[in-house]
Amino acid sequence: MTDQLAALTTIFTEFYYWVTVVLMFLIHVGFCMYEVGASRYKHHQHTLMKNTMLIPLVTVTWFLFGWWIYWAFPTGPGLAPSIMNESSALITDDSAFSSKFYVATSQLMAVNLGDHISGVFWAAFLLFSWTAASIVSGAIIERITTFAFGILAIAIGSVFWVIDAAWGWHFDGWMLKLLGYHDAYASGVIHAIAGGFALGVLMVLGPRIGKFSSSGEPRNIGPRNPWLVTIGLFLIYTGFWGFYAACNIPIFDLGPEYGMEGISYWTATNIYVTPTTLSGITFNFLMSLSGGLLAGYWIAKGDPFWTYSSGLAGIICASAGNDLYHPIQAMIIGMIGVVISYKLHYWVERKFKIDDAVGAVAVHGYAGFIGLVICGFVLNGYPASGYSVGAMWDGTTYASINPLGQFLGALIMFVVLGLIPGYVIAKVLHGMGKLRIPREVEIAGLDYEIMETAKSDEKAVASATR
Amino acid sequence: MATVTNWIDHLNKPADQVAGAVYPGAGSSEGLLVILAIILWVGWHVLTSRSESDELERLARKRHGANDHKSNITDW
Repeated sequence: MTDQLAALTTIFTEFYYWVTVVLMFLIHVGFCMYEVGASRYKHHQHTLMKNTMLIPLVTVTWFLFGWWIYWAFPTGPGLAPSIMNESSALITDDSAFSSKFYVATSQLMAVNLGDHISGVFWAAFLLFSWTAASIVSGAIIERITTFAFGILAIAIGSVFWVIDAAWGWHFDGWMLKLLGYHDAYASGVIHAIAGGFALGVLMVLGPRIGKFSSSGEPRNIGPRNPWLVTIGLFLIYTGFWGFYAACNIPIFDLGPEYGMEGISYWTATNIYVTPTTLSGITFNFLMSLSGGLLAGYWIAKGDPFWTYSSGLAGIICASAGNDLYHPIQAMIIGMIGVVISYKLHYWVERKFKIDDAVGAVAVHGYAGFIGLVICGFVLNGYPASGYSVGAMWDGTTYASINPLGQFLGALIMFVVLGLIPGYVIAKVLHGMGKLRIPREVEIAGLDYEIMETAKSDEKAVASATR
Repeated sequence: MATVTNWIDHLNKPADQVAGAVYPGAGSSEGLLVILAIILWVGWHVLTSRSESDELERLARKRHGANDHKSNITDW
């Protein structure tokens, strides 16, 4: 770079995403603490290691093919033409932002003095991937094998959520063009899909031993360490700030981007390259968090586990439209999402005997789904993109945000790319005898041998005289 | 393997040659590195899957009770 202003813009953007990655790392720290706090003593270490090992498993696959999927699949393929090359095929040609630049053998996927952005942008999306896999992780604790979870984590973290991101988050995505889909901070793109995927896995995996009585009544297996759960959720809140920032482009000149001759308009944008401000989304982030906490405290009668989770659910529910909502709209939407998710969680638990150990399907899946649907009504008529506005099903232009498009989008996220793949992969793993740990191990505790060894070590040390 | 052996010489090149990959083996080793990564990744899954199955089978055979672990809680 030889121009100082261009260098400042580039290096500011590089540093901006880098900071979001560091902040988002706290989401994973939070998920680890939360899961350990929610699991029982005899399963702690395995629960922790299961969630920890998704980091390398998803990262390596994200490098090998996940990132490529994001840039290759915006057209479907075959559903709507790309604005970059006007083809509906996979985007693998020489056009700008083509996936050919992001294959694992590309020189942009390494230290490259001509590219300051690919690595930090890749990492920001990777942290979204970890989050998607971690959401699933909590629901299935204490009874899944680490091997099976690894496969499921790769499937949701490096394949399915990336496909939905290409479809519904990429500025060239077919869901924006055909449906007017809008999901600025990932109510559906991360949360609904991960919640749906977790539900699909749970349908095959079954409940923990003792969760339901012989008459089918659910029993509460409360968090063993509520304080660890609390700190974990606070860390997830903290990391969520980074998540929101990472969904924005920090500085962009929209004039030339939209083809407006002689007009320069520098702004932050959301992921769809339409203008928003970090300031505005900060209002909405905090107000939706507050709405979630208020509603959660009320509906759960002060139960700390659900109150904290509801704060998160409040943000998740408002996230689809938090780039444009008024803060009080964000708060009310957060409240509505929490009440419905909470009620739905217990209804599904009783009716279908689904044991979601941490309420992940409710907090992420149901809240995300509801948030998408509400967004369709509240933001009805806003353009889904800044490039060109058209009608639904047009395909060559972008439809406006509308209730039907958002509802269909929510179904695609939760059911098509979430629940169905989760169910099918879990069925295959179950068929291989690799999904669930043996009953005897679940009763004894996954950590039994580790604890036994630690006890012998303790005895040996206690009896030592020198 | 070194892509750059003198930074002054490198930065004095035309701009399009300065801005590029600088890791060892740039332009010749990427395919091999990816194959190596895939082998390591698959190998890791095979090894850890086997060891996990062995561990679970061994523990299942012992048939401990639901509260047996409590006698193993340490208090260092």
